[in-house]
Amino acid sequence: MATFCSTNCRSYHSLQPVSSPSSKLGHVLQHVTLSSSSASKRFLAAKVSLKSQPDSNQVAVHTHQHEQSDGAATVAAVPVDNDTTQKRLKAELLSVTSEEESRAEASSDKDENESVSITVVGASGDLAKKKIFPALFALYYEDCLPKHFTIFGYARSKMTDAELRNMVSKTLTCRIDKRENCGEKMEEFLKRCFYHSGQYDSQENFAALDKKLKEHENGRTSNRLFYLSIPPNIFIDAVKCASSSASSGNGWTRVIVEKPFGRDSESSAALTKSLKQYLHEDQIFRIDHYLGKELVENLSVLRFSNLIFEPLWTRQYIRNVQLIFSEDFGTEGRGGYFDNYGIIRDIMQNHLLQILALFAMETPVSLDAEDIRNEKVKVLRSMRPLELGNMVIGQYKSHTKGGVTYPGYTDDKTVPKGSLTPTFAAAALFIDNARWDGVPFLMKAGKALHKKGAEIRVQFRHVPGNLYNRNFGTDLDRATNELVIRVQPDEAIYLKINNKVPGLGMKLDRSHLNLHYAARYSKEIPDAYERLLLDAIEGERRLFIRSDELDAAWSLFTPVLKELEEKRVVPEYYPYGSRGPVGAHYLAARYNVRWGDLGIDLDQ
Amino acid sequence: MDSSCSLWNSCIQPRNNARNNFQLKCSNGHPLNAVSSNDGVAGSSLAKEDSKTQQTEASFPLSDASECIGSNLSITVVGASGDLAKKKIFPALFALYYEDWLPENFIVYGYARTKMTDEELRNMISRTLTCRIDKRENCEDKMDQFLKRCFYHSGLYNSEDDFSDLDSKLKAKECGKDSNRLFYLSIPPNIFVDVVKCASLKASSRNGWTRVIVEKPFGRDSESSRDLTRRLKQYLTEEQIFRIDHYLGKELVENLSVLRFSNLVFEPLWCRNYIRNVQLIFSEDFGTEGRGGYFDNYGIIRDIMQNHLLQILALFAMETPVSLDAEDIRNEKVKVLRSMRQIQLEDVVVGQYKGHNKSGKSYPGYTDDPTVPKDSLTPTFAAAALFIDNARWDGVPFLMKAGKALHTRRAEIRVQFRHVPGNLYKRNFGTDLDKTTNELVLRVQPDEAIYLKINNKVPGLGMRLDRSDLNLLFRSRYPREIPDAYERLLLDAIEGERRLFIRSDELDAAWSLFTPLLKEIENKKIAPELYPYGSRGPVGAHYLAAKHNVRWGDLGIEE
Repeated sequence: MATFCSTNCRSYHSLQPVSSPSSKLGHVLQHVTLSSSSASKRFLAAKVSLKSQPDSNQVAVHTHQHEQSDGAATVAAVPVDNDTTQKRLKAELLSVTSEEESRAEASSDKDENESVSITVVGASGDLAKKKIFPALFALYYEDCLPKHFTIFGYARSKMTDAELRNMVSKTLTCRIDKRENCGEKMEEFLKRCFYHSGQYDSQENFAALDKKLKEHENGRTSNRLFYLSIPPNIFIDAVKCASSSASSGNGWTRVIVEKPFGRDSESSAALTKSLKQYLHEDQIFRIDHYLGKELVENLSVLRFSNLIFEPLWTRQYIRNVQLIFSEDFGTEGRGGYFDNYGIIRDIMQNHLLQILALFAMETPVSLDAEDIRNEKVKVLRSMRPLELGNMVIGQYKSHTKGGVTYPGYTDDKTVPKGSLTPTFAAAALFIDNARWDGVPFLMKAGKALHKKGAEIRVQFRHVPGNLYNRNFGTDLDRATNELVIRVQPDEAIYLKINNKVPGLGMKLDRSHLNLHYAARYSKEIPDAYERLLLDAIEGERRLFIRSDELDAAWSLFTPVLKELEEKRVVPEYYPYGSRGPVGAHYLAARYNVRWGDLGIDLDQ
Repeated sequence: MDSSCSLWNSCIQPRNNARNNFQLKCSNGHPLNAVSSNDGVAGSSLAKEDSKTQQTEASFPLSDASECIGSNLSITVVGASGDLAKKKIFPALFALYYEDWLPENFIVYGYARTKMTDEELRNMISRTLTCRIDKRENCEDKMDQFLKRCFYHSGLYNSEDDFSDLDSKLKAKECGKDSNRLFYLSIPPNIFVDVVKCASLKASSRNGWTRVIVEKPFGRDSESSRDLTRRLKQYLTEEQIFRIDHYLGKELVENLSVLRFSNLVFEPLWCRNYIRNVQLIFSEDFGTEGRGGYFDNYGIIRDIMQNHLLQILALFAMETPVSLDAEDIRNEKVKVLRSMRQIQLEDVVVGQYKGHNKSGKSYPGYTDDPTVPKDSLTPTFAAAALFIDNARWDGVPFLMKAGKALHTRRAEIRVQFRHVPGNLYKRNFGTDLDKTTNELVLRVQPDEAIYLKINNKVPGLGMRLDRSDLNLLFRSRYPREIPDAYERLLLDAIEGERRLFIRSDELDAAWSLFTPLLKEIENKKIAPELYPYGSRGPVGAHYLAAKHNVRWGDLGIEE
């Protein structure tokens, strides 16, 4: 089985015919009735590694409309050919049986009849080059893509297929941990990449694309994924054309869009409304690539599969939660887009808020996308509206260090001289529900800071009636436990605990119980885009933002964003490469919090 | 004042401060400590001497055994020629001296029947002294200085006259000053009382404290233990008796309470709601190796379980004490012991190792040892399930396992947590539920570590869960050498800190728990399950665990 998919990617050698839901699918069927739904095609995973097949329950992604109450049944449904196999699967947990083999063979027929076409709209852009094509190649390299797939680049530039391949090939890399066949694999991958030049608002151009796609599909069931890697102002045009002229006739059609999803409640609602003229909710995959990060995925695993965290995850034990994002570079000549949005829209309202919602949500009924997203929406809706007083904004100014001068934000030629756009923001948020009442959730995000990183810090309360109190002196902040989930770089989870310094005295020390990913897991951690692309292909919506989530997120931030802009609040300036404006400390101090990332006992 | 003096000064002051702080906290205001007249002065007199005598160090005269040197602490190791003394006690005393933990003018006396000169004793001791790896400078100098403070007195263990002579020698060195005396009884238990009698009558300190450290065995059942205590108390008060359980001096056992009481994250977990079972595991990878005479009379249950493992269990399971004072802690420990259910024979498995050939080498069985009777039924392995019938621990099995001649050498505490209720990720684990629970492991020896087994996601595109460790390996975080348990315990005895010593009522309670079981095993002549030397012990231990729905954490596939 190792040869088949030795990595723990979800093996994708089979694709079940969605358009002709076979009765053999049994109770997994319900969701297949939806137009865009794909049954999960991951049953081969059973062969690959049963353990790696977690989310076969999540295949039932559309179940919210059908069978909320039937969650358990869905969870139990390994998408195999009949109900009883499921029991056998359990029994055969560790052994690959001939039965599974035969299923695998049977599935290859279906594989033959399925195809997926991935069209990267805006193929000449930076994101496409740096992230999307490499992620697609990585999926291919790890055998995670279906057998018949085709990749089309679409953009206005005139280019031949060969030119596109040449461009794409420059950014492809192989997994460090298995380099063999890399060149060969790249060749094979590039052969499946094509280019079609066209206008984003031209139905004819998309119709021409459709024709080309059909040729490649060669009569197989056609599933089409459009990745919109284009500026937001042409989202609608592209969606309109793609949907009306290049939709799949007999399979699913899905569209991945990336932020910005509007710039406030109104524009976001308008965007959603326009998109929905051409697409159903379940065809829209709003990506928040932070949700594809390994440790963000792990957050739920930590919470829900470890008993020891269960009693701690409440206001009774948690004093505050910190969500911290920092970049060590500025806009660097690309401030045009950023200046219109600012750090709050760019990072907080989406990435950090999404992580907060995942962190704070109640236990979902199941791991199904709808169940999880329902819980996240509940958190967002329980949040107290953000007030200006609970927010600190900053903007970096130029700074000379060691003879090198770093430019300020407004020195960027693409940024208006008088811009008040925040490049740093800190905010205190509150969730007014039974679990989190009174616990400050502090967010901090900034550009041009002293380091690059993203982390979640959970600071616990003091030990009541601490017997060892005197040993700590007066610095009580150092005496509490803290759980740190470092999302990037250098993924790690660690719990700060107090223990005794070995020796004859009784000196207490704060040390770490830690799990350092690089030390434990030698293999490369997949890029967030790989996971998200694969999920979109498989119809797994867990990590994508639903319209009502997006609405709730905007409702929370829109009033304060408007107030900032109307009052023309001047950001606090901080030097490029510094730790950000000191205002963030005062904000934290107001809620009796100390930022965990700027303390004296900095972590490894 | 010369340089060595100021060096000494600068390094002892902060440590003394640290130590005194802690001592203050531990013993402050405690009635028992306050009442015990001869102890009350300990801390203060030490501190006083520390500052008073610093100047004299450079001119410390050491050549003549009878010369007055104003010693303020005399440590007499009774049974100085024995193994424990050579391997543990003298090295521990030297380590304390080396790290400046001992008062300025201490002296060490070896006492035994063997005829020996001071020089010969020094020569014998010097072979086992080592310096801390992390600071080797001055090691030789320090050793010489230490050895100059060591003397020898030969005498019989039951001769009041010989102890009188010792007293005169001690007095000569004390020059009539306030002096404290500590006797370490490193002798067989049958002569405990003789020595205590002689030492107490003839060689007690007149104006300071006199303390006696005794080590196991403290009897072999409730009756003999009580008898020993009664006889010791003819000559000593309870506060003078320091019953050592050297496991309590181990770094991670000390750390157990710190972990529990100074980390909020463990607080809600420490009860039957979250903990499924607790395992206390001790194993040695060697047998009696020709020294089975003593062991055969006791067996592994008395040798390891009734004392070391039970003490750790009590520390683990006790309620939060009022303070860290010795009496408060020991009160809580006694409460645990007294809440424990009588151990049933069917909850115990005994074993004995047999000879085994492995890759051409033959390892002897227990009864092959010439010092062991051929038909001995003495267990060299035992496993037991214990229960604490109180509100916190009702129904939680505490499993103990101890054995000689096993495949590894280790001592650890394992806390297995319950399953996640309504686990969303359940199917990912397949059916092996035992692998999915969290586990906290405190490895006491070797290679001290604390780790918490958690479930997390294997990085990658799938959703495969993995059990990994949140860990703290002491060796990598604290590169300096961890002191031997004897160092801590000797220092505590000198400082009158009783936290880590066993009180009479604790000892009583511990024996009450095990005596009926031990008698039943002996009366019924229960034959131990034989296991090969170097193996993982008798399989009976697994069945015992299974009966209580437990899986031993140390024999899993992950280890």
